Amino acid sequence: MLSTVVLYSFAYLLLMSVSLFLFIFLRRLVIQARERRDRAAYEIMEKDLLEVLTSPGPAAAAHVFARKHRARPRVLKRVLVAYREALVGDCLEPLKTIFERSIRRRCLRELRSPFLSTRLQNVRLFVDFSRPEEALNLVKLLHDKPVVRLAALDALTGIASRDTLGQIFDLFEKDPEPNLYAYSNIFFSLGPRIEPFVRTSLDRTLPPEKTGLLIEMAGRLLLRGLYPDVVYYARHADKELRIRAARALGRLLVPGSVKTLMALAADASWEVQAQALRSLGSLQDWQTVPILVRALFSPHWHVRYNAGFGLAAFGLIGILQLQEISRQQEDRYAADMAAMVLDTVVLTGGPA
Amino acid sequence: MTGFLGLVDNGIDTVILAYFLLLNTFYFLFNLLSLAGILRYRRLVAFVRFGEIFRMPIVKPVSVIVPAYNEAQGIIDSVRSLLSLRYPVFEVIVVNDGSTDATLDRLVEAFDLAPSKFVFRKSLPTQPLRGIYRSALHPKLIVVDKINGKKADALNAGLNISRYPLFCAVDADSVLEKDALLKVVRPFLEDPERTIGAGGIIRLSNGCEVRNGQVVRVGIPRNWIARFQILEYLRAFLGGRMGMAMIRSTLIVSGAFGIFRKDIAMACSGYRTTSITEDMDLVIRMQKLMHERKKPYRIQFVPDPICWTEAPENLRVLARQRSRWHRGLVETLVNHRGMLFNPRYGIAGMFAMPFYVIFEMAGPFIEVLGYAVFLAHIAFGKVNYPFAVAFFFVAVFYGTFVSLLAILLEELSAYRYPRLRDILILTVSGIAENLFYRQYLSVVRARAYVDYLRGKKDWGHMERRGFAKAGQTP
Repeated sequence: MLSTVVLYSFAYLLLMSVSLFLFIFLRRLVIQARERRDRAAYEIMEKDLLEVLTSPGPAAAAHVFARKHRARPRVLKRVLVAYREALVGDCLEPLKTIFERSIRRRCLRELRSPFLSTRLQNVRLFVDFSRPEEALNLVKLLHDKPVVRLAALDALTGIASRDTLGQIFDLFEKDPEPNLYAYSNIFFSLGPRIEPFVRTSLDRTLPPEKTGLLIEMAGRLLLRGLYPDVVYYARHADKELRIRAARALGRLLVPGSVKTLMALAADASWEVQAQALRSLGSLQDWQTVPILVRALFSPHWHVRYNAGFGLAAFGLIGILQLQEISRQQEDRYAADMAAMVLDTVVLTGGPA
Repeated sequence: MTGFLGLVDNGIDTVILAYFLLLNTFYFLFNLLSLAGILRYRRLVAFVRFGEIFRMPIVKPVSVIVPAYNEAQGIIDSVRSLLSLRYPVFEVIVVNDGSTDATLDRLVEAFDLAPSKFVFRKSLPTQPLRGIYRSALHPKLIVVDKINGKKADALNAGLNISRYPLFCAVDADSVLEKDALLKVVRPFLEDPERTIGAGGIIRLSNGCEVRNGQVVRVGIPRNWIARFQILEYLRAFLGGRMGMAMIRSTLIVSGAFGIFRKDIAMACSGYRTTSITEDMDLVIRMQKLMHERKKPYRIQFVPDPICWTEAPENLRVLARQRSRWHRGLVETLVNHRGMLFNPRYGIAGMFAMPFYVIFEMAGPFIEVLGYAVFLAHIAFGKVNYPFAVAFFFVAVFYGTFVSLLAILLEELSAYRYPRLRDILILTVSGIAENLFYRQYLSVVRARAYVDYLRGKKDWGHMERRGFAKAGQTP
C-alpha cells in the first residue's frame, strides 16, 4: 500500500517538476518575445512623442499620437510615466492630452476595480495626469484602503484647489490612524498655500502627534504667518510639542524668537533644551553665545552635542569658543565634545 | 523481542515518513504564499518611482553598519558599493573588529582616512575602541577600529556610533545594489509606527562580475558547491522567508542585509555578544519586547532589494559555516524556549518558534536518523528495495520541484538570470544537489548538535577570495 502511494507520489512529482520546468521555460520565451515587441513599440512611440513635443502645434499632434497608439495601453503607460519624470511645466500638457485621449477612460473605470493593486496603479497614473475636474473621482478614493487613500491624496496634491485642500485637511484631522510620514510628504509638496488650513487645524484640539506634524510643517515650509501659533505651542505642557516648536522656530528665523528659544534652552527636559540650542545656533544672535557655551558643560550628551554644533554655526567666534573649551581640563566631556565638533567642522564642514 | 524491535522499527519508519510529508507540505505552502506575495508586491510597486522616495523630505536617515574582521580582500569594493547607494541621508560605519590582516590599512589608503576625535554615547558595552577615522573625501564614511569582540560586539560598537533612527546591518563581504536601501526602507515609509525591521534578499556573487563595488554582470559560477548554494539561497529567501513574512512569522532577518529601528534594538540592549547567530537573536528579542509592551509590530521581507555576497566554494569551509549557523539556531531557540507555544507571543510563539524547533532545528537529526535506519536495514537485509528506490526518487523530485518553484519566484521578483542556459544549469543543480550535497549538509548540521552540547563557540575560519575572483574556480 505504502509502495503504491510512494510510486504515485513519484509519478506526480515527476510530472509536476517537468510541467513547472516547461512553464518556466515557455514563460521566459513568451516574455522575451513580448519584451522585444514592446521595446520596438516603445521606440516608435518615443520617436512619435518627441515629434509631438517639438511640433509647432503640440495639442493637435498629441491627438494624432493618442489615436495612433491607444491600442497598446501597456506600452503607452510606460512611455507616459517615463516622460512624466523627464519633463516639467508646459511640456507636460501634450502628455496630459495623450493620457486623456487614449487611456483616461480606462483608468477611470479601473479606479473602481475590486482589486486593490489595480486601483492603486491607476491612482498613481492620476498623480501625474489628473485634471481639476477629476478631483471628484479621487476624493471618492479617500475612504479606500490606506495605501490607495494615500495615493489618492498624492494625486489630489497635483490639482489642489481650495476645496480639495479643505478635504485633505479634513481627512487628516479625522484620520484615526494617520500615516504621518505620508501626510508630511503630501503637505510638503503642497507648499506654502496650506498656511490658512494649518492655522485652522492648529486652532482645533487635535491629538499631539497631528499638532506636532503641523508645527513641523510650519517650520519646514517657512510659514512665518504661523509664528504666533508656534510660539504658543512653545509654552505647551506636552514636551513633544515644545520640541517641535523649538525646531520650527529655528527654521523660521524670526529675530523675536530668541527670547522664546532662550526660555526653551532652560526647559526642564533635556530633549527640549537640545533642540532649542540647535535652533539658537541657526539664529546666530550674539547674546546667545554664553548660553551655548554653558550648555556645552551640560551632563546630557545630546545637549552638549547640539550646543557644540550651535556654536560652530556662528563661524569664527564660535570656533574660537570651541577651541577654548577643548583646551580646558576641568570638564573632560565638554572638552571632548568641543574637540569633536571642531574636528567634524574641519573634516566635513559640519554635522553630516 | 524480535516482535518488539520490529514494532519500534515500523514506528521509526512511520515517524520519519510523516515528518517528511509534513515538512514538505509546509515548504510547499510557504512557496505558494511567496508566489502570492511576490505577485502582489509586483503589482503594488508598479509605477512607484523610487526617485520620488529619494526626494521625499522626511525619509528617515539610515546608519549602515558594516562589521569587518579580516576582510582585506573585499572591503574596498563593499564600502564603495555602500557609499554609492542611492539614498537621501545615510552614513556608513565600518567597524574593524581587530582584524589581523590589512583591512584597516586598505581602508585608510583607499578612502584617505584620518584619525578623528569623535565623541559618542556608549549606550552599549563593547570591547575598547582603538580609534575612529573619518575622511574629508567621503563625509558619510566613519571607520571604527576596535579590539576583537566578534561580530555582535562590532555591531554594538557601530550602534553606539550611529546617529540615525534606522540602522542597516550589512556584512563586509557583501555589495548592495544601488537602490537596495531605497527599496528595503519602503515598509518603514508605509507603516512607520508598526514596522520594526525589514530584510532584503541575499544573492551569491560567485560567478558574477563585480566592478567598482557593483555587480555588472550576473552569472552562474562554475563551481558546483556555489551553484547548489545559489538554489539554497533562492529557496530560503524567496520561498521560505517571503512565505513566513506573509503570515507574520519572521524570526530571521539576515545579518548580511537587514534594516531595523534603532530605538527598539537599543531597548533590547543591542546584539547579544554571546550569540553565534546574533541576527536571529536580535529579531526574536525585538518581537518579544513588542509583545511584552503590547504594541503591534511588523517585520517585513522585501523581495527585490538585493545584497550580493560571496559563498564558500569548498566543502570544508561550507561545513564550518553551516555548522555555525545550526549551532546558532539551536542556541537561539534554546535561549528563547519560553516563547514556545506561549500565546503571549502571538503567532511568533504559537507557530514560528515551534516550526523552527520541529522542522529547522530537528530536521537534520531526523534526516540523519532516516539514513541510519536505512543503513541498519541494509545491514540486516531488511530493505524493501522497490519502496526505498521509489522513496528516494520522490525525495529527489520533491526537492527539484521546490527548487523549480524558487526559480519561478526569482523570475517573477528580480529576473536576474536572463540567459536560458542559467535556468537549465540551476535546474540540473536542483537535481544534482540531492545526490550528495544535501546528505552531507544534513550530517554537518546534525553534528552541530554535538558541538553545541560540547559548548563550542568559535566561528571557524572563512576563506575570502574577493569579488573579482569568486566563482572562477574551474
